[in-house]
Amino acid sequence: MTRLATPTRSEKSRGWLRPGLIIGLIVLALAIAFPHLVDRPKFWIPNIGIKSLWLGIVAMSLVFLNRYVGLLSLAQMTIAGMSAYGVAYATVTLGLSPWVSIVFGLMIGTLAGYLVALVAARTKAIYFLMLTLALGQVFYSWAAQAVDVTNASRGLYPVPRPDLGVMNLADLNSFYYFALAAAVLCYLLCRYVATSSFGLALQGIRDSPERMSALGYNVNRYRVGAITFASFIASIGGVIVVFDRNQVDPSVVNLNATLDILIVAVIGGIGSLLGVFAGGVVLSLLLNFSQDFTDRYMTLTGLVFIAVLLFAPAGLAGIGKQVQGVKDRVLRKKKSAPVLEPVQEPPTKPSEEELTTEGTQR
Amino acid sequence: MIMPDTGHALRVRGVSRNFGGLKALRDVDLEIADGERISVIGTNGAGKSTLFNLIAGVFPATSGRIELFGEDVTGMSTAKRAKRGLARTFQTSRLFEQLTVAENVFIALGGSEFRGGSLRPAWRSPSRWERGERLLERVGLREKGEAVVADLSHGEQRQLELAMALALQPKLLMLDEPAAGFSPSERTHLVKLLREIPEEITLLLIEHDMDIALAVASRVIVMHDGEKILEGTPDEIRASERVREIYLGGSLDEAV
Ligand SMILES: Nc1ncnc2c1ncn2[C@@H]1O[C@H](COP(=O)(O)OP(=O)(O)OP(=O)(O)O)[C@@H](O)[C@H]1O
Ligand SMILES: [Mg+2]
Repeated sequence: MTRLATPTRSEKSRGWLRPGLIIGLIVLALAIAFPHLVDRPKFWIPNIGIKSLWLGIVAMSLVFLNRYVGLLSLAQMTIAGMSAYGVAYATVTLGLSPWVSIVFGLMIGTLAGYLVALVAARTKAIYFLMLTLALGQVFYSWAAQAVDVTNASRGLYPVPRPDLGVMNLADLNSFYYFALAAAVLCYLLCRYVATSSFGLALQGIRDSPERMSALGYNVNRYRVGAITFASFIASIGGVIVVFDRNQVDPSVVNLNATLDILIVAVIGGIGSLLGVFAGGVVLSLLLNFSQDFTDRYMTLTGLVFIAVLLFAPAGLAGIGKQVQGVKDRVLRKKKSAPVLEPVQEPPTKPSEEELTTEGTQR
Repeated sequence: MIMPDTGHALRVRGVSRNFGGLKALRDVDLEIADGERISVIGTNGAGKSTLFNLIAGVFPATSGRIELFGEDVTGMSTAKRAKRGLARTFQTSRLFEQLTVAENVFIALGGSEFRGGSLRPAWRSPSRWERGERLLERVGLREKGEAVVADLSHGEQRQLELAMALALQPKLLMLDEPAAGFSPSERTHLVKLLREIPEEITLLLIEHDMDIALAVASRVIVMHDGEKILEGTPDEIRASERVREIYLGGSLDEAV
C-alpha cells in the first residue's frame, strides 16, 4: 500500500468537470493566439512556447503514471531522450525521411519504455523511483560515450525541422502549432485511457494491488501496459525536443533534465494532466529570465519548487480548489451558528482544509 | 496421493507457514466438499487470516500442498486462483479508496482479462454497470453508488468488500471477519445475506462473532496458536470444554 506523492483526497473531480472544461478551452484559445500576442516571436515561441509544450508533454507522462497507477517514474525524460536519439539517428546516420524518422523515434522510446517496465513493474514506491533514476543515469553515461551510435558528447546533428507535407515545420509558427497539436493529442489520449476500463483497472491497482490480484487481475501486466503507454507519450515529447534543438546530445538526458521534469510536474500539480503546462511555462520563464536578476538559476528553481510544495501542495492546478476550499470554510463559518450541522464530515476532509488555510495564511 | 478429485472445493494438506521465527501456521489439514459452509474460529493471532492468505496465494506456504477444485494450486499466482473460482474478502478492507462505490464494483466485475476491448471507454459497458448496481442492491448499498469509498462508513466499506467478492461469482467464497465493526442490524442483514448465498457456492468464513459463525456453518473449525485443534458441528463446538477453555470468560467478545 505504499505510494508516493499521490493526492490522497478522494477524487471528486467529476463535479468539477465543467468549470475544468471551460478553463481548459480558455487556456487553449490563449495558446493558439500566443504567437500573435508576443512582442518578440523569435524569442517567445521557441524559448517559452515550444519549450513549455514539450516539458509539459514529458511531465504529463510522469503525472499519468503517478495519478493513475501510483508510480513515480524518473525515467520519463530519459525515454523522451531515447525517442529524440531515435529520430536523430534515423535522420543523421541512416538518412531516412522525416516521417519514417519520427515513427522510428517513437518506436525506440516506446520499446525502451516497455523494456524498462518489464524490469521495473515488479518494484514499488521508492524502489521504482530509484530504479528509474538509475536507468536514466545508465543511459546518460552510455549516450555520453557511445561514439559510434550517439556521437558521444557532441551529439547527433543536424536534425533540421522537416517539411512534413501537411505542415512545414521549418516555419516557426507551424512548428509551434505542431507541438501544440501534439500536446492536445497527448492530453486527450491520457484522458481517454484513464476513463477506459483499462484506466479504471489501473486506478484499482493504484489503490490496492492486493485486491486487484484477488479479483484475478494480472497486476504486473497492467503496470507494464501503463508504463509503456506513458513512454509513448514521453516519446512524442522527445520528437519535439529533437526538432526544437535541431540536434540531440547527452545534456538532453542528464540529471538536470530529469529533475526539470519532476519540477514541472510538481509545480503544475502532480495529480493534474493539464497543470503540467502551467509548470512548463513557469520553468521555461525561470530558465530564460532568471539570469536577469540572479546567476543562481538552480537556487531559484529550487526555491520555487519548495514554495509550491509548501503553499500549494496540489500545484498550480490545485490552487482553484484551494481557494474554493477557503471560501467554503469562510461561508460555512458564517452560516454555521443557526443551522444544524446535518452531514457527517468525511474523515479526510478536515486535514485537507487545515493544509489549505495553512498555505494561504502564511 | 495425487488423486483427481472433483468433489472437493478445497483440500489443504499439511500446510505450514513461518514468518521468520514465528510459526504462524503449523501442519494444518482441511477438506471442504463442494457447497459446504465452514466457519473458522479462534483467538487473535491463531493463524486464521494466514490460512486464508495461503489458500488465496498471497504468499507461498512454507510447506504443504493446496488443492482448489481438485487442482494443485500450491505454486499458482493469486490472480490465477481467482480465475479458477476463488474469491475472498480482506480482514481490513482493501478497496479502491479514491474511486466511487459503483466504480469499485465495475472493476471487480472486470473479468480480469487484459484484452484490447478493455480500452473501450468504461461508460460504454452499460450491462456491466447494471450488474454492479444489482450487486450493490444485494449487499444493501443501492443508494451509495456515486459515493467515493473514502467517504463511506466502516460498515458500508465492509458491505462493499463483500460485494467485490461476490462480483467474481466464485465457486469458493472466503470471508475474513465480514461482520467486524457491524451494528446489530447490519449483522442480522449479513446473516440473511450469507444464508441466501446459492447452495453451490462453498463458503469458508472467519468470524469472531460466535452467533454468526455458528448460525451459518454446517461445520466449525477451531484454531489456536497456528494449529487446528478441533473440528465439529456447531452443536459440538458449543458443547466443547476445550473451546470454552480457550475463550474463557467471554474473551472472544473482547477480541472483536
Ligand atoms: N505478513 C505477515 N508477516 C509477519 N507476520 C505475520 C504476517 N501475517 C501474520 N503474521 C503473524 O502470524 C500470526 C497469525 O496471524 P493471523 O493474522 O493469521 O491471525 P488471525 O487468526 O487472523 O488473528 P485475528 O483474529 O487477530 O485476525 C500473528 O502472530 C501475526 O502477527
Ligand atoms: Mg485475521
